[in-house]
Amino acid sequence: MEEVESENTPFEPVPSKDEMYGAETPVTGKSQMQAAWSADSGDEEAGAQVAAMPEGQIFEQIYKPWEGTLNPRWMRNWAILRHHLLGVFKKGHRPWNIPTKLFIFFVIIASMTDVAMVLLFGMIGEPELYGIWGVNRDNMYGHVMGFFPRNILYYPIVAALLVGGMISEDRAHGTSAMYFSRPINRFDYAAMKFLSVGLILFFIIDGTLAVYYFADILVMGKGWAWIIDTFPLFIATFACGIILSFTYTSIGLALSSVSRGRFFPAIGLIAILMGTRSMAAIIDGLFDKSILYVISPFDAVAHVCQALIGTEMTYDHPWVWSLISVVVMNGLALYLLANRVSSLEVTRE
Amino acid sequence: MVRELIIESTALTKSYGPHIALDSLDIKIEKGATGLLGPNGAGKSTFLKTMLGLIQLTSGEGKVLGFDIRTQGDMIRQRIGYMPEYDALNPGMEAIHQVRYSGELIGMNPNVALQRAHQALEYVGLGEQRYRQVSTFSTGMKQATKLACALIHDPALIIADEPSNGLDATAREFMLNTLETTVNTGHRSVLMASHLMDDVERVCENIVLLHKGKLAAQGKIEDLKAIDREVEIHVWGSANKMEEALTDRGMKVRREGRVMRIGHTGDETYNQILRTASDVGTQVRRMHDHEASLEDLFLVIMERLGHDIKSSEDLLGGV
Repeated sequence: MEEVESENTPFEPVPSKDEMYGAETPVTGKSQMQAAWSADSGDEEAGAQVAAMPEGQIFEQIYKPWEGTLNPRWMRNWAILRHHLLGVFKKGHRPWNIPTKLFIFFVIIASMTDVAMVLLFGMIGEPELYGIWGVNRDNMYGHVMGFFPRNILYYPIVAALLVGGMISEDRAHGTSAMYFSRPINRFDYAAMKFLSVGLILFFIIDGTLAVYYFADILVMGKGWAWIIDTFPLFIATFACGIILSFTYTSIGLALSSVSRGRFFPAIGLIAILMGTRSMAAIIDGLFDKSILYVISPFDAVAHVCQALIGTEMTYDHPWVWSLISVVVMNGLALYLLANRVSSLEVTRE
Repeated sequence: MVRELIIESTALTKSYGPHIALDSLDIKIEKGATGLLGPNGAGKSTFLKTMLGLIQLTSGEGKVLGFDIRTQGDMIRQRIGYMPEYDALNPGMEAIHQVRYSGELIGMNPNVALQRAHQALEYVGLGEQRYRQVSTFSTGMKQATKLACALIHDPALIIADEPSNGLDATAREFMLNTLETTVNTGHRSVLMASHLMDDVERVCENIVLLHKGKLAAQGKIEDLKAIDREVEIHVWGSANKMEEALTDRGMKVRREGRVMRIGHTGDETYNQILRTASDVGTQVRRMHDHEASLEDLFLVIMERLGHDIKSSEDLLGGV
């Protein structure tokens, strides 16, 4: 049996120690290494086994099956959300353009100027300047709803850049087919797109608000009494941030859904926000009537937020009218969005 | 041998107001490769959308891979790989991530989808190009990327809408080879909508022919070709007399110079031709069966037989 094995092995077996060093061991002239690795004469005949491939063929097409399991609906929706959100930070996801990424970064930093001021004046102990920048009812309202610069230069422009190609580019590039030929329904598609834009705006507006509020607590060493006193204000302002993000997103996405390009929805959103406000301001200036502000999305939300936060009202008409206006505007925008998303084609546009 | 049905519809009807897009279709598609043919407006796109479970039927019913197209659209779309005719890729994304994302949209785990995207792109011949942006791709590479997106989850059925549209000869050859390999060695089914008869003939063994929303023909291409079978002869001398004699004997003759095609009516056709040639003193230098192309067949069905025929049996029965 041993003989057979030694015949079949590709190398010469190493002799045992007894055989190697015993008195009866014959002198062969081979070293131990030679015996172990067969590095002696005879190797010339050995040949390496290489993969066989027809001459000239460098690409072999082989279909490889896949036996894995597919995740449920929530995981598919998470994939859409993740694709859009991670695209802001990483390659390999939705390709947001560089100006958009830079502007988001700029707005996040710029939105925290009040945080910087609180830190500065809190640390140097200047009570009057801290009083201007510290957390209070008006400053919290101003962080979310302040018109200049936040709601003219920051948030509407970020919203415009985000919604610009969100749905319109799916229509233009035909990528809607990639969604709807897969088990993604139209509600999930629109909801995840909405959530993607809404969450980025939410992180910018409410995220920086939270940093502002908690930075004040930490830097100034505020006690529980102050926190209990101001926390409802913080929650109300937080809710205002959500209403503002929601409103900008719904109007912006509705515009994106009726377009095939990036420019129209972006400029359309800014035109609606600024145009309605300018018109209402002119009417207010000429006739001393603030009622037309209900057609301005920003002012309608601002009026509702003034009521929610309890800061000084800057409009003459009842805030409930503005609340109705906010609900109607969002309802119309969502109706348009749903209607247009349902018309996105799989086969051709 | 009865093969497994992947698509089955009974009296499937879809109308948009007064316009009937699909008119009572009874279609049975077996496992393997099937071509979906029809002129513009025949209802191909509407048929594909109903198969994907995307539009509500007006009446009738249908099943794809055993799932009801009325109620189980999600299940169907999870098991189908759809390759759209038009651009369906984000030009700003790299091919590998585009394919990975399409896998994630079906429900694949991101890491698994990435691994599988590498395999799918390698399979469609874009292994070396997978980190390039789609915007830099040629039409052929974009088509291949769309195919990789369709194949990433190893679907049981691939619906390819005009897969060789706009491709040059090399890219077209590769695309058709890839589809053939998917069917023959991958053992997957392909439903291929195309205007290019040669492509369908190359990849598919069955066809479904739609015309004005109605089923014009369905069955094996070889069987259907029999309706237009002819014998081609090359003659020398007295070609006019030969043509007249054949016509007089009730045979259907098409002639171009010294080449004639005579309608095949049975095995006796060959003897009749030779006897006629002998009678009129014409040399028959060459005689062979002429196999109609799918394009010939398409024209015959559309122009000669109309669109009331429902199956290859009906077509063959009429000859």
